[in-house]
Amino acid sequence: MGEASVVVQICWTALSTAIPMILFAVAFSLVLKVVKIWNFAQAGFMAVAFYAMYATYNLLQWPMWLAVLIGLALTLIASLTLEPFGLDVLRRRKSPHLTYFILTLVMSLFLAAFLSMLFGTEPVPLTPEIMSPVKIVGSIVMSHWDLRAIAVGVVLLLLLHQFIIRTRDGQYMLAVADNAELAELYGISAKRTRIVTFFAASIFITAGMWLAGTRGAINAHMPLQMLIFAVVATLLGGTGGIFTSALAAAILSLIQALSVLVIPSQWQGFVLYVFLFVTILFFPKGFNVRNLKLAAILGKSARVMRAGQG
Amino acid sequence: MEYIVSLLVLAGLYVILSSSFNLIIGYCGLMSVAHPIFFAFGAYTAGLLAIHADINPVLAVLAGGLVAVVMSTMISLPSLRISGDYLMITSIGFQLAFLEVIKNIDAVGGGSGLSNIPNTISGDGRSATFAVLACGTALLVVLLIRWLVNGPYGRVITAMRDDELAFAAIGRNAMRIKVSIFAIGSGIAGIAGGIYAYYYQYLTPEKFAVHETTAILTMVVVGGMGSVWGPAVGAVLLLALPQLITFVNLPEGLMASLQSMIFSSLVLLFLFLRPQGLFGPTKRG
Repeated sequence: MGEASVVVQICWTALSTAIPMILFAVAFSLVLKVVKIWNFAQAGFMAVAFYAMYATYNLLQWPMWLAVLIGLALTLIASLTLEPFGLDVLRRRKSPHLTYFILTLVMSLFLAAFLSMLFGTEPVPLTPEIMSPVKIVGSIVMSHWDLRAIAVGVVLLLLLHQFIIRTRDGQYMLAVADNAELAELYGISAKRTRIVTFFAASIFITAGMWLAGTRGAINAHMPLQMLIFAVVATLLGGTGGIFTSALAAAILSLIQALSVLVIPSQWQGFVLYVFLFVTILFFPKGFNVRNLKLAAILGKSARVMRAGQG
Repeated sequence: MEYIVSLLVLAGLYVILSSSFNLIIGYCGLMSVAHPIFFAFGAYTAGLLAIHADINPVLAVLAGGLVAVVMSTMISLPSLRISGDYLMITSIGFQLAFLEVIKNIDAVGGGSGLSNIPNTISGDGRSATFAVLACGTALLVVLLIRWLVNGPYGRVITAMRDDELAFAAIGRNAMRIKVSIFAIGSGIAGIAGGIYAYYYQYLTPEKFAVHETTAILTMVVVGGMGSVWGPAVGAVLLLALPQLITFVNLPEGLMASLQSMIFSSLVLLFLFLRPQGLFGPTKRG
């Protein structure tokens, strides 16, 4: 019984701590789906969001809600600088994929270095106090941070879902994701849709960094490691699958947390990289439930055939 | 004088690294950020062999190159099977994963680094010998790459990079070329790592982190992707740059950030204003 409650506690904590990662994975896969780039600059935007909130809240001593708004505004400015002054220039030049990779990765490294120069290399938390009050429900300890994270995650995912299926801009995002040139023929502005996409991604990035920063200390170089998690989740969820990436991030976080039961804790981070290689080796197009069903049916037919031959 | 000679050693090593990276990224069009980790494989292999096996240094350096070749094949085979995009992603994961491994294994020195690598050349001429060795190897590498890309194999690489579909349509195996070029480039980086280990006699995981990727990438982009001599000139130019900013007298952590900021802004500037770099062929985006 005691062991079962430990496992449930680990699962609960893993689920709540996965929320920032889920938000980063959604932002990453949304941009990949609509803008068609592996946006490694997102790590830089994550650092911008965090330090904008940190400076507003800790240095200017302004309220947290204002810090979050300023964080969102600066993240949005950084994202929108990338689109017209970076990606659009490369699109017009018909640059190879390699150039997009270099641009997004180097932009991320530039922002990380710039913010390290401004705020130092020591990790800092967003709020001086990172411990939050706890409630005990049954035998499970739930902190206020856990509840807040889950609430923010659920609300944002529901809002995005409704935005995509119910609003015109959301439908345009799907159209541009499907075929940008055809969408333009039907009068949809791909440029505007990309800006809307970056706006939506910025909300997820800022919310994720707010949650991550109120839970632990962060420095400018850590977002790149966090982004790797989002990339693995995006690959596992199937590139372009926004909500499947979120699900993959949750499952990945759960497995990573449960791994402490079988491997030393310092290797917990390594589990993520193992997943990256396993995904690329065995599930390059994502972990698709329909494929699993097909594999099960094929396996069953093969067994029936072998039995018939026997 | 000793300082200038030690800079020459570093220049030689960075010419090897940037030229081998240029082979992968510039000629073959493959995007990988894991070049420093192959440098690390070479350095750690040579360092560990020197400490534990008392092996001939030349063999230890070659073993470092071989380990880098094997490891590079391990990541390029599964990822290139799908697409070049996956190589980029795998290479980031590979770099971060192996840095994590190095930091957590005490046998390779852990986070505090691998020390006590024996000194193979002692006396006053130590640095000068290493400078000749590093610069000589760098020259050999540049000439080898020039021979490789100017010959029939080079035309095959260019054809594959420029139009892979047409290349496959005439019955050529693009995957084999990519894997072998990636292995050659990484193996050369491994050899540079071996020389580095013997010269500095101390290895720390931070030396092979992501900021090192920025440095090497900057050398290639500034010098000119897809040109033989460009990355070599880029390496020398960009090695001189940090020496100019040492007078700012910042703490070491901030100095690394300043250097990384300068390097990344140079890449961004060149990417938009002069994508072909200082010496690269035109018509490259």
